[in-house]
Amino acid sequence: MRGNAAAALRWSRRVGWWKPLAWLGLLLALCLGMGGLEGLFRWLEPDSRQVLYARSSFLVLLGQHVMVVGLASLAAVILGVGGAVAVTRPFGRDFLPLVSQLASIGQTFPPVAVLALAVPVLGFGTLPIIVALLLYGLLPIVRNTLAGIQGIDPGVHEAARGMGMTRGQILRQVELPLAAPVMLAGVRTSVTINVATAAIGATVGATNLGDPIISGIVNGNTAYVLQGALLIGILAITVDSTFERVQSWLVQRD
Amino acid sequence: MDRARPFPNVVLIVLMLGGAVAWLTLPAISVAPNRIVQGTPQHAVAALGWGPTLLVLMPMLAMAVLAWRPTPRRLPGVLALVIVLLIAIPLWLSGVAASMEPTARLGIGSALWCLLFIGLLALIELRSRLALSRPLGWALLVPVVLVWWGCLTQWLAPLALYREYQGRSDQFYAALAQHLMLVGAAVSAAIVLGAGLALAMRRHSRLRRAGFGVLNVLQTIPSIALFGLLLAPLAWLSARFDWLADLGVSGIGWAPAWLALLGYSLLPMVRNIFVALDEVDPAVIESARGMGMSRRQVFLQVRLPLALPVVLEGVRITTVQAIGLTAVAALIGAGGLGTFVFQGLGQAAMDLVLLGALPIIALALIADALLSALTDVLRQGGTT
Repeated sequence: MRGNAAAALRWSRRVGWWKPLAWLGLLLALCLGMGGLEGLFRWLEPDSRQVLYARSSFLVLLGQHVMVVGLASLAAVILGVGGAVAVTRPFGRDFLPLVSQLASIGQTFPPVAVLALAVPVLGFGTLPIIVALLLYGLLPIVRNTLAGIQGIDPGVHEAARGMGMTRGQILRQVELPLAAPVMLAGVRTSVTINVATAAIGATVGATNLGDPIISGIVNGNTAYVLQGALLIGILAITVDSTFERVQSWLVQRD
Repeated sequence: MDRARPFPNVVLIVLMLGGAVAWLTLPAISVAPNRIVQGTPQHAVAALGWGPTLLVLMPMLAMAVLAWRPTPRRLPGVLALVIVLLIAIPLWLSGVAASMEPTARLGIGSALWCLLFIGLLALIELRSRLALSRPLGWALLVPVVLVWWGCLTQWLAPLALYREYQGRSDQFYAALAQHLMLVGAAVSAAIVLGAGLALAMRRHSRLRRAGFGVLNVLQTIPSIALFGLLLAPLAWLSARFDWLADLGVSGIGWAPAWLALLGYSLLPMVRNIFVALDEVDPAVIESARGMGMSRRQVFLQVRLPLALPVVLEGVRITTVQAIGLTAVAALIGAGGLGTFVFQGLGQAAMDLVLLGALPIIALALIADALLSALTDVLRQGGTT
């Protein structure tokens, strides 16, 4: 398995930024030029009057999707890393067992259920989705940040203190850089889940790439479903391959 | 050593004071005259007066006081108080329900959700402080669940969530069965297929690289998109081949759901089986061969039993994941508990959403608990 990961890493290093950029290019090209595939969709769905989702442009839907996921993930990173750092400091150590247990138990909760529970509390629209994504996205980030910081050899800590570094310096120059690869893996999991869950948010009144899918299912129009599904799938792969690239860059740096 | 005067348990104090504030300031319930009208929120004091409100408040304040000097003898007392708190909530709700009109509907308000959540957090905290075993931690919840159940069947008829359940109890059990069946079918197929793939990957390294590559990409594709992508080809297949249509295969329904679930389940399954078989200490295999065991015997009697806990870990991850994904599959008409969630969201009937979402969470937690307990048992069996 480790050999496998190393091989994947070597490969991604050779391919460089081309892979995420190629996926991004495909994503944008499909957003702009979905009309070029009309023949294919017409063949798929010969009975429908309209085969191209037209209620909103795909680029707008993509923008909405990326914005919601981006906002939620950014907040989750700030809160998650901040929280995890706080409970590993002397003043917050009392909360460490509870937070780490909660982060692992919480991940058992299905994301859809969390999204569904946010609606009665916050109402319909984009806000409950951002909050639900934020809450759920916190868990892998907190968990991995804790694992990353706790996984650092105590000797390293000792040596840094011996060199006369202050607590803040140790955090910024030793702990966070050493924990970064594990933390980034947590962010990757979090964002991947958020891209998927945001799409389901179309059922609670948000407009994003989930919209064509939901409206296609409701109206029995396979072409709409396919358009939404293609774009979401490619968006997920674009995001994931970007993270893969950043991760290999982080490892390469050492 | 001042073991007699330990430091205050800040966590419990913060939790309980936070709970007390929430209980007094947030609306505890909402009351609606019927299903259509939105409920009006009510505070605890307004709903049932000061007496019962203080009765619920007492255990929280008592816990905060005890947590100031959490001696080993006091912590079990705190644990008992958490249970008392969790039991007091349904009893208090029953008191509210007793004075309500027969057609009115009682909704649980944010204060009560906060208390339930804080109670569970306190349980988790105490479980790790007292180093209680996992089964014991679950056993503590048994009296709480029993009291909730008793209150629901006896006095809590106006509870909106319970009304929704009563109105469609047949559908509820059918959906639950459908949900479990889909998860079971996907996970068992993933075990069989995953084992085959993992074994093949051990033989052929090229297959290993390609296989993990494909499964990794599959795992990143959002479930709703995969369901959608399967819709068109399956619809085409069932239109083309009559025997498939006779089987019930079509673009929507169980077939795409099962296929997608299987796809998602394969990666954790294959990965764990592969790692499990790979990690068995070569010296153990060597000595088993030395004892004159055949290849087959080594695999069945040495490698497999040693690998089983890690394989079960894979089954646990897969099952928990499949329970959540099956909820999404309701969107493409595969049934299951997700049906209530999406129906409820469509009708803006929040209690119906809860009727779907809460059992889904419960299922995931139960599956997680049972399978990790089983893994623990196997691990212990393996070391002795």
